[in-house]
Amino acid sequence: MFGNFLDQFWSLTFGGLSLGFIYILIALGYTMVYGVLRMINFANSEVFMVGTFATIIIIRDVFKFTQTSEYATGPRLWLILGTALIASMLVSGILSVLIELVAYRRLRRMNSGILAPLISAIGVSMVLAESMRIMTDSRPVASPRAMEKSFIGKFFDADIRLDNTIIIVAAIILLAILMAFVNKTRLGKAIRAVSMNGNAAKLMGINIDGVVSITFLVGGLMTGAAGFFYVLKYENSSFSIGFELGIAAFTAAILGGIGNIKGAFYGGLVLGLLETYASFFLGTQWKAVTVFVILVLVLYTRPNGLFGEAMTQSRA
Amino acid sequence: MKKRGLISVAAAAALAAASLVAYAPASNAAAKTITLAFQGPLTGEEAQVGQDELAGMLYAVKLFNAKNKGKYVVKVVRADDQGDPAQAAKVAPGIASNKKVIGLVGAAYSGATIASLPFYKQRNLAMVSPSATRVSITDPAAGAIGFPVFHRVVVTDKVQGPSLFKLATKGVSSPKVFVVDDQSAYGVGLVDYMKPGIPAGQSAGFDSVSDKTTDWSATIAKVKTAGANVVIYTGYFPQAAVFFKQLRDSGYTGVLAGGDGVLSPSFVTLAPASVLEGVRLTAGTVPLADISDKLEADFQKKMGKASGVYAAESIDATNIFLSCVSKGVSTRAAMLKCVKKFKGKSLTGANLSFDKNGDVAGGVMNGFEVKAGKIVFTGPVK
Repeated sequence: MFGNFLDQFWSLTFGGLSLGFIYILIALGYTMVYGVLRMINFANSEVFMVGTFATIIIIRDVFKFTQTSEYATGPRLWLILGTALIASMLVSGILSVLIELVAYRRLRRMNSGILAPLISAIGVSMVLAESMRIMTDSRPVASPRAMEKSFIGKFFDADIRLDNTIIIVAAIILLAILMAFVNKTRLGKAIRAVSMNGNAAKLMGINIDGVVSITFLVGGLMTGAAGFFYVLKYENSSFSIGFELGIAAFTAAILGGIGNIKGAFYGGLVLGLLETYASFFLGTQWKAVTVFVILVLVLYTRPNGLFGEAMTQSRA
Repeated sequence: MKKRGLISVAAAAALAAASLVAYAPASNAAAKTITLAFQGPLTGEEAQVGQDELAGMLYAVKLFNAKNKGKYVVKVVRADDQGDPAQAAKVAPGIASNKKVIGLVGAAYSGATIASLPFYKQRNLAMVSPSATRVSITDPAAGAIGFPVFHRVVVTDKVQGPSLFKLATKGVSSPKVFVVDDQSAYGVGLVDYMKPGIPAGQSAGFDSVSDKTTDWSATIAKVKTAGANVVIYTGYFPQAAVFFKQLRDSGYTGVLAGGDGVLSPSFVTLAPASVLEGVRLTAGTVPLADISDKLEADFQKKMGKASGVYAAESIDATNIFLSCVSKGVSTRAAMLKCVKKFKGKSLTGANLSFDKNGDVAGGVMNGFEVKAGKIVFTGPVK
């Protein structure tokens, strides 16, 4: 068994890493909002789901791909991928801002406490998922293949596939931009200020509503990017996809320490790899059990997650 | 809970309609209202299966009502069990105690069927399932728990398991078969019936993977280390399309095969044609379009959507009840008797009748192959 594992180690690792980066981007949607509002935005899973559909619509309806089309190559391929990525990010980002405006803002102004926004979030989530279910007739929707899943090289014995590489490289670039935004810009500083102490930030003249909207926008953009990468890798989506990936990403956020960008990063990577290795060793049926046993063990020893302590420094 | 409410509303509406009919003057030659029920997943993850079967039933009823205008009006009560035994146990009592319902098409899924059976047996409601294939329901060795109310027009997995293995390995010299199930009762059961028939040395391994899986790299790694050249998936088409796609993309070139859970018109829309080329499938059912293009066209015209996997079985099951209705049957007891004695033809033209445990007498598995993005009927599996 262990010999087999070594044989497959690198292909498992690449698969786990690209899945991990998708988790990271969705986890950011949870963690950034939590950092600023101390609230779990359960609707983020549906923001992701809508993002996957945005990508599918771009590939299938705008660029007219079908399951029997020839694959795109060269500049046209990059145009298609770029358009789909930007479209998913924008759709998810805007949706995320709208959700905050409609479902949370008034509750926050009325100092409703923790439970009302939580229920509101679950409600928004159900409305979005069920609306999509009705629109898709409960069926899974496939994205036609626009890009050939070619092997671009070898790492030890493992084939390196183009889609996994694009996901990992593009996600790292997005994360770098996000870190620069949060740490280097005035807006980023405002977000950090609100997250450290909302009242003090308000007294300093920071427009809290504006900061909250920006936070939802940035979280939505990252989650939308995850939607694009998900479709690039798995080429399908369904109304229920948000729930499935959302739980995993939320777990990643908790594992790493919620409210903390670094936590989302390591939580996502650890979860992606752990799921993949555990499935190989124990059988895929034990994946969820393994992951949650490890989550509980981590929380026993570090109740705030792996990076819980660093919260006040780099919380976003 | 909400669904239960809906059903009681439907039941109340049916009762109200019935009392209106009762007050109408007896001399009025009003059409006789007969109520049948459908049970299956109408919402949730498995909703497509139930919605497709319901469409088959409604199609048969529509034809019947048009043909018997002024004589009979058949109504359909819907029970949404989400394909889930727990949910089924909640909706079945409502159907069982709704006296207007004299026959039930369903339940679509075996687990839900088993959970519902006690209620229907107690109230003597005849069931004809288009798709509940678990063997134990009719197996005397397992107590034939479905007896006497349960019947099915679909061939069971006892036949499908070995047939699927036979079809998957056909023409493969020294097959090494890797079997993956989806952890559902259906998928696991199919593997159990396949196992005894696998010749020594032809098994490369087994894996059991949740139907929520989106990333298959671990299973793919196992297939590769086992050196398999035939991979069989016993589960449903949404996961099958994703699994097969990822397996092919990883460089696997062997045979891919699946059972009737994979055989859906939607299957081929979920992955590139080049990836699914040559996928082998078995099913007791034949899509309407393979029976006749005219039938499928008429179905689409009347129902406003393409027919699904168990369309033919749903129509067959409904037609059994309808033929009894046209013989004047209007009570549960008479219906059960009539169904038990039923002898007729299925849509495909095969003889249709039940053995004493409620299984369809005779029955063969059909083979299919994906060719250029289409599922093509390749004849019975021999």
